[in-house]
Amino acid sequence: MTVLMTTQKIRIALAGNPNAGKSTVFNALTGAHQHTGNWPGKTVALQTGSLSLNGHHIELIDLPGTYSLSAFSAEEIVTRDFILDECPDVIVAVADASNLERNLYLVLQLLEMGSPVILALNMWDIAESRGITVDQQRLSALLGGVPVIRMIGNRQVGLSDLKRAVEDVLHGGTGAVRSLGLPLDDMLAKEHAALVELVQNEPALYAMFDAPWMALKLLELDEDILSRVEPYPHITAAVEAACERISQQTGEDPDTLIADRRYQIIGEIAEQVITRGKQDAGTRSDRIDAVLAHPVWGVPIFLLLMWFVFQLTANASAPLVDWIDAVIGGPIVNWTHAAFKALGLEGTWLASAVIDGAIAGVGGVLVFIPVLLSLFMAISILEDSGYMARAAFVMDRFMQKLGLHGKSFLPLLVGFGCTVPAVYATRTLEHEDDRKITAFLTTFMSCGARLPIYVIFGTAFFGSASGTLVFAMYLAGIAVAVLTSLLLTRVVYRNKPVPPFVMELPPYRMPNRHTIAVEMWTQTRDFLRRAATLILVASLVIWLLLALPVRGKGEFANVTPEDSLFGSVSAAMAPVLAPAGFGTWQAAGALITGLSAKEVVISTMSQLYLDTSEDEAATSTSFADDVKGIVSGLGEALVLTGQEFVNIVPRTVNLLPGVNVPELNILGADADEAEEDTSQLNSALRSAFTPLAAVAFNVFVLLYVPCVAAVSAMRHEYGTRWMLTQAAYTLAVAWLAAVIVYQVGRLLGA
Amino acid sequence: MATTLRAVLNAFEQADRPLSIAQLAADLDITPVMLEGMINYWVRKGRLRESGGTAECGTCSQGDHCPLVIKMPRRFEVVSEGAPPVEPPPCSACTCH
Repeated sequence: MTVLMTTQKIRIALAGNPNAGKSTVFNALTGAHQHTGNWPGKTVALQTGSLSLNGHHIELIDLPGTYSLSAFSAEEIVTRDFILDECPDVIVAVADASNLERNLYLVLQLLEMGSPVILALNMWDIAESRGITVDQQRLSALLGGVPVIRMIGNRQVGLSDLKRAVEDVLHGGTGAVRSLGLPLDDMLAKEHAALVELVQNEPALYAMFDAPWMALKLLELDEDILSRVEPYPHITAAVEAACERISQQTGEDPDTLIADRRYQIIGEIAEQVITRGKQDAGTRSDRIDAVLAHPVWGVPIFLLLMWFVFQLTANASAPLVDWIDAVIGGPIVNWTHAAFKALGLEGTWLASAVIDGAIAGVGGVLVFIPVLLSLFMAISILEDSGYMARAAFVMDRFMQKLGLHGKSFLPLLVGFGCTVPAVYATRTLEHEDDRKITAFLTTFMSCGARLPIYVIFGTAFFGSASGTLVFAMYLAGIAVAVLTSLLLTRVVYRNKPVPPFVMELPPYRMPNRHTIAVEMWTQTRDFLRRAATLILVASLVIWLLLALPVRGKGEFANVTPEDSLFGSVSAAMAPVLAPAGFGTWQAAGALITGLSAKEVVISTMSQLYLDTSEDEAATSTSFADDVKGIVSGLGEALVLTGQEFVNIVPRTVNLLPGVNVPELNILGADADEAEEDTSQLNSALRSAFTPLAAVAFNVFVLLYVPCVAAVSAMRHEYGTRWMLTQAAYTLAVAWLAAVIVYQVGRLLGA
Repeated sequence: MATTLRAVLNAFEQADRPLSIAQLAADLDITPVMLEGMINYWVRKGRLRESGGTAECGTCSQGDHCPLVIKMPRRFEVVSEGAPPVEPPPCSACTCH
């Protein structure tokens, strides 16, 4: 007698792993005829729908996605209980054809339950695109004759075959009643047989479930099934004794042995039915990984890629940084001056607060938009292509030597661009200690805003060897980070050894342009929203301190810097810096303003060392000239950006000894102009610092407290206490290092 | 009786360097897909821990879309005995609530 003859209400359940496309098949079968609701007594919502098959009304139930039926999670319990208690007439097991081995575990468990199963091999197109083929007939035969259907659920391919198979099963055809017992090894088989016999001797139990399946679940110590045999203490005792004997003899839990047996069977089936072609993405990625994730070659390749990232963020973005700087410092300041003049507020404290405080401060952040965009673009490309996972993988060993986690390297890497996102990037670490230590170290990775300071001092004191100073600063930062890490992990936290990990390396793929554009925008926007607010407040505070007279004849907003509150505080702090060779109030003041943002150090020095008494308004141009200048400046900056981008190649090749490929120089004259722009400040610096004091000053800039935005990020993430600890530590280390450089240098006669 | 499942766990416990799923699968002579299933078994048994895959960021619902988090693939490591469960970091600084 067939199901169609005996059942009024026909029920079909869809089961499968998460992401196997089960819901797609469900939608394709039911169309709009579906609703969601809780099954009686269950909290997990089940999607149900209806379809008509040759005049028969069929209810379709979309069971929660599960990897097994072992009652570990709510989804598994709901799925298993539904199958056991509601006894659906057919179970359609939806499996991802491109990940068949993993999906077969659930299929085997469904067959062990004695359910009438149809296997739908979904995502057949994805499997084919990866060069994976599955022998349907052979698979069906190995699974005891279960109908196997190829499907592409989202394109409704295979739906009619599935419906035909359902109909066939309902009519008592090939797949009607299947119970594929799990073939067990000797000892397990013996204990299983004994338990089957005990269950079969209890009619109430035997009527409830398939005896071999129930005995298997008892050996797996399935809590649900154990609770159902509680009224039969002799069975419970037999189960305990059997499990004890198995564990003693094999050293393994029975459930592990049973799971392993399932995997053995899956392996045997897979070997016979799955063929993998050469275009399997996994295989292709494995070949690339043989080079990129190689224990030896992986590190230099990673360093080379990082070189590209730094070239991109530091050099390729520089022309646009200069352009924004010129626009803010020129036309925008001029227009603001003109606006205040028109309002009759020229020369007032309000005009000063807006121009010298707000515009100068916020402008200092806006200038770095190209740097951030290029940094985020580089990171997004590396991330989206799948390389970032390899980088963490490759760098793990080095990080472990420092007592850090392999994932720590990513925030540290980001720190070379900006400390703020670097601190937030520590969220990817699981353990709080790792997060705190890594965030602590990010400040020693010299951020992009410090670079202009090294460059200006380098050109002022070391001419063509200025690059050496810059390179030395980066290396010094890394060295201090290494020492600090050893201190924190070996002395303060005494971290337990970091266990090695196994990582899923996603297949390589071409980065998606849309994804990269969205990431660049969202990350830059978020940074600006946060940093611009903080910088604005900090800039206005500094302006206020510079506007407040504390001595001399000045008045509010019209006072010489040295007579301002700022000048007085700076002068008070200057003696502390004297042992490092730069104990002037100007140097101290520049370092104080550098707390708001490191790029402010240079602008403060320009204000303090250079004569800026000339009337800015007198040099202003017409609005049309300003707009023309902005547009032509942008064009020039874009050309130079392209030039710098191209020049990454010769600069990289020129790292090889004996190689000297000339760099592209489309607008060479502008480089000279740029040098002229800084020459005044260079002369002033040369008269204010000795070369040794200049190096000590740069060391201090490298190591001392990061900017307000970074400190604020630190407080947000790890609290005020950790933030203050970091600030105090960096100040102490910076002072000590600068003093050592200066005093040792003097002893050596430098 | 040495089972493949036990061999997987032993490989984790005895590893002296990070491994990729592909590498470990090759070492154990099984397919990466099969290995993932076996790893999942030990994760469910509480012997291995899965992390990564998405931003674990407190109560924030943004997950992978958080602009401040670099997404990393899934990683698995041995759960040391008595280890406390991993708490996600606070998300008070996040503007994406």
